[in-house]
Amino acid sequence: MKKTSKKKKQFFAQLIFFILITGSLSGMLIGTDVYEEVHDSLVEVLCLSCLKLDPKTTKEFTFDTVNNAAHAEYVTDNLSSGIVFLHYSEDACPGCDIMLPIVQDLLSVEYEKKELFSANVNYEGQQINYFYTNLDHATPGRTEPFETYDIQNVKGLPMFTIVTLGYYSGVIKPKLVTLYGTLGVDTYEQRMQVLEEVIEDAFTLWNENIPGYEP
Amino acid sequence: MKTQFKRTLSQILIFLSANLGPLGVKTGFCYPFFYCNSCPAATSACPLRALEVGVFQNSFKWKLLLFPLLIIGFFGVLTGRAICGWACPIGLLQRVTAPVARRLKKIPVIKHMGNMLLPIEPKLRYLKYLVLIGLVFFTTALIGFMFTNLCPIGFLTGTIPTLLLYPSEFVFNSLFFYPALVIFILFLILIFIVERGWCRYFCPLGALFAPFNKISMVHVARVDEDTFQKKCLHCNACSDVCPMGIDVTKMNRDPECILCGKCVEACPKNLIEFKKR
Repeated sequence: MKKTSKKKKQFFAQLIFFILITGSLSGMLIGTDVYEEVHDSLVEVLCLSCLKLDPKTTKEFTFDTVNNAAHAEYVTDNLSSGIVFLHYSEDACPGCDIMLPIVQDLLSVEYEKKELFSANVNYEGQQINYFYTNLDHATPGRTEPFETYDIQNVKGLPMFTIVTLGYYSGVIKPKLVTLYGTLGVDTYEQRMQVLEEVIEDAFTLWNENIPGYEP
Repeated sequence: MKTQFKRTLSQILIFLSANLGPLGVKTGFCYPFFYCNSCPAATSACPLRALEVGVFQNSFKWKLLLFPLLIIGFFGVLTGRAICGWACPIGLLQRVTAPVARRLKKIPVIKHMGNMLLPIEPKLRYLKYLVLIGLVFFTTALIGFMFTNLCPIGFLTGTIPTLLLYPSEFVFNSLFFYPALVIFILFLILIFIVERGWCRYFCPLGALFAPFNKISMVHVARVDEDTFQKKCLHCNACSDVCPMGIDVTKMNRDPECILCGKCVEACPKNLIEFKKR
């Protein structure tokens, strides 16, 4: 008799737990965007720190975008006044935390990592149009170039794209380079140096080609 | 079909279904077992990474915290820790290394070491709860990602396949790669010298599933007490085959049981069975 009553209690507890858990899980899936959040931030975006690897840094500029997608309007417009520096990040990302102060020091800008930020930065007498985009807080228009410029198809963060100008078959067109993670080097100085070199090359190209550029 | 064959089939099928990424299958679910979302073929997210993102530097993203816990809870209430025995790809790997571990156990030096550790062995099993609370939750909340950045399973299922598939496209991240490599080597040593050593002592997902054994709808148990006492031969065949090192004759909804069913098959008198409710 006692045993049966204990079994009944156990079954009742199991049932309560099952209903609570199933109900909450269904409620979360129906009523919140958790499925999209996990999909977009954990499954689709490659976690470079989980991977313990960094994509190899390629400093070569290219005219190619992913699937030949068009450049965002704010990128082509801003190219008239200087090179465009796009910096993508997210809230929980060790590589982003390593790179954020380096970029801030390099460009002498200050902002919180959880916000969107843009500025026209005077860099050694020339203009860098800098756009910092935290993908966890960004609007779709702002995140669009993240996919367009992910030319190595890494889908990893942080990602840096520097857009400049280049000459191709009689036309001056946007030319870009995309760098990922902690840039494949180990120290603050080395990372700073990689960015400085790329910016320098970008300015060389921009100065050569700006006279013929029409956005 | 014999239980162990069914189990192998289930583990292989689940391993394949966890790797449908190249076919374009990318879901917004978390795996209910140990697998890395940075695996080139991954279809879902690592539940531990989701939990870590949920508490990252005190951010408290309740959705990311609750979602993997509910997924684990769902399977936990239904089948307890059966996920470890029937679904987890790392469980499958440890099934492969188990015969080596069993053979090595007979070598005098290892046997002696095992005997020395025997008194504290049950306490070592609490390490996985420390790993879960300390490395997955506390350090992530207070400092930053810890467990998943050094995770040996991430190294096995994410780093190694990526390096094999894209050998010229990635370089080592010195901050995480070398410490993770050392931990991975230790992980390999562990699973080759202790049968299911990872599940027993370190797996934080095992720690999450373990309490559900107390209330799960399916569990492994002795047939009714009177029959067991009358018929048990005390041959210890059940405990001998248990990959988790449980004393099956005294087992009562043991949090370590992974419902593999080896004891059910081993008992010559059929005194152990899968029970519903």
